[in-house]
Amino acid sequence: MSSIIEAEKLHFAYVRVPVLEDISFAVEKGDYVGIIGPNGGGKTTLLKLLLGLEQGKGKIKLFDQPLAQFKDWRKIGYLAQKSPVSQSRFPVSAEEVVLMGLSDRHGSGVSLGELKQVHEAMQKTRTREYAGRIFHDLSIGQQQRVLLARALVSNPELLILDEPSTALDPESREMFFDLLGELNAKRGVTILLITHDTGEVGKYISKFMYIDKTLVFYGTKEEFCHSQAVAEKLGAFAQHTIDHLHNHGHCPLGCTCGEAEK
Amino acid sequence: MIADFLSYGFVQRGLLSGSLVAASCALLGVFLVLKRLSLIGDGMSHVCLTGVAAALLLSANPVYVSVPVVAAASLGIMKLTQKFKIYGDAAIGIVSAAGLSVGLLITALAGGFNTDLLGYLFGSILTVSKDEAVLCGVLLAVVLGGLFFFYRDLTSACFDEPFARTRGIAVQTVNTVLVVVTSIAVVLAFKVVGIFLISALLIIPPVSALLVSRTFKQVLWLAACFGVASVWAGVYLSFVFNIPSGATIILVNLLVLAGAYVWARLGGFGNDR
Repeated sequence: MSSIIEAEKLHFAYVRVPVLEDISFAVEKGDYVGIIGPNGGGKTTLLKLLLGLEQGKGKIKLFDQPLAQFKDWRKIGYLAQKSPVSQSRFPVSAEEVVLMGLSDRHGSGVSLGELKQVHEAMQKTRTREYAGRIFHDLSIGQQQRVLLARALVSNPELLILDEPSTALDPESREMFFDLLGELNAKRGVTILLITHDTGEVGKYISKFMYIDKTLVFYGTKEEFCHSQAVAEKLGAFAQHTIDHLHNHGHCPLGCTCGEAEK
Repeated sequence: MIADFLSYGFVQRGLLSGSLVAASCALLGVFLVLKRLSLIGDGMSHVCLTGVAAALLLSANPVYVSVPVVAAASLGIMKLTQKFKIYGDAAIGIVSAAGLSVGLLITALAGGFNTDLLGYLFGSILTVSKDEAVLCGVLLAVVLGGLFFFYRDLTSACFDEPFARTRGIAVQTVNTVLVVVTSIAVVLAFKVVGIFLISALLIIPPVSALLVSRTFKQVLWLAACFGVASVWAGVYLSFVFNIPSGATIILVNLLVLAGAYVWARLGGFGNDR
C-alpha cells in the first residue's frame, strides 16, 4: 500500500516554545484519520506543516514526493479552521470562491469544464441555491459549506480538514460527515480531519491520531478503544473520550470491543 | 472655457499622466485595501522624500532616484513583517519614520531646496514631462497586464492567502510584485497629488468602489473610473478657482466616497446579483 503522507521527525517551535516534537507517522491511501487532542496541542500546526504553510524541522513527503518538490496541489483539498473573510467585505460570489479551488488557469476566463466542476461540488455540499450570493453575506455555516465545496472542486485524493464542522447546525453536520464518509468509502479519498466530534464522526474514521505536542497515539480505532496503556497515557481527556464512546450501550465508534457490556 | 483649458499641451499631458497614474493606483489599491496594507502607500510616500531630497542634492531626476529607494523600502516593510514577525502597521510606521527623517536630514544638510521640494510635497501635475507621461503609460500597461494574466492568482491570494498557497500559487511572489509595482506608482503619483496625498489615491477610490460594487470585477473598474474622474474634475476645478490641484483631486475623491456611502446606505445595486 502506498503512503499518501509520510512525516519523519517533525519538530516545530514558536519563538523557542516547542509546539510539536518528534512526530513521525504515515497515512496510507484510503485512510480516514481523526486527529484529536487538547487545545494548544499542535493539531492545527501539524496540518499547516504538512501543507507547507509553516516551516519546521523534519521530512515530509506527499504522494511520495518531498514537500518542497510537490506541485500537484489539485490532489489535495484543504479546509481551514477559520473562514478567511470574517471582517472584510470581499465582493466575490460563493461560486467564485469555489472556483478558487481550481488553479490550472491564471487569467480571468472560466471554461465550461471548470463551471461544471464547480456546480458538481456545490451540488454535493448543497450550496448551489446561493451560488450567486456574495460570500460575505452568507451565514458562517453556509460559508463553511461553500469552503468545503472549494476543497472538493478539484476532486482531490487527499482531504485535509481542520475542525470543519464547528459552525454547522446538526443537520448540516450530519450531511457533512455523511459526504466525507461516502467520499472515503466509495472513491477512496484519504481524509485527515481534526475533530472534537469523536462520537459523531467515529463511525467513519479508520484511525485515530492523538496529538499533544508529541504523537501520543496513532492507530486503528479498535486499538484506541482497547488499549489500557492509551488511557493511562492520555489522562483525563482520553478517559472522558473513552467514557463517551462506551457509555451508551454500544460503541459509537463502531468497534467490537464489547466494553459496554462489561 | 473647457476647450481653452484643454488646448494647452501641458494640461493635456498632466491630465493624461494623472489619469494613467490614478487608474494604476486605484487598481493596485483594491488589493492593498483588501489585504489590509492600505497604509503602505503612506509609508512609501514618506520614503519618497528621501528619494526626492537625494535627487535634488545630486541634481538628478527625482523619479529615477526615488523608484529604487521606495522599492527597497517596500521590500523592507515586507521583510520586517515576514522575517521578524512585526505587525504590518508597525513595520510601515518604522520604515515611514526612517524615510521621513533621512529625507529631512538630507534637506537640512543641503540647506533646503525651496520651491523645488515644495512642488513635490504638494504636487505639480502640470509640470509632468513627456518621459514621465510615457512611464505612467507603461505602469498602467503593466498593471492591466498583470490583472489580465494573473487575475485568479491575485484574487485567490488576496481572498485567502493560506488556501492560495495550497493551490500552488506563489503568494510570496504575488505580494512582492504587488508592493514593488505599488512603489513605482507611488513615485509617479507624487507629481500628480504631492507626496503628502499619494496614499489617498491608493485608498479612497477602492474604498468607494467596494461600497457600491457587487462583484470583484466591478470593484476594479469602478475604482479606476473614480480615480480617473477625480483627476479630471480636480484639475479642472483647480484651473477654474485657481486652487492647488493635488488637494482638489483628493477632495473630489472624498466627495465621491461620501456619494458612494449614501448610495450604499440607500440600497445600492440591491442585495443580490
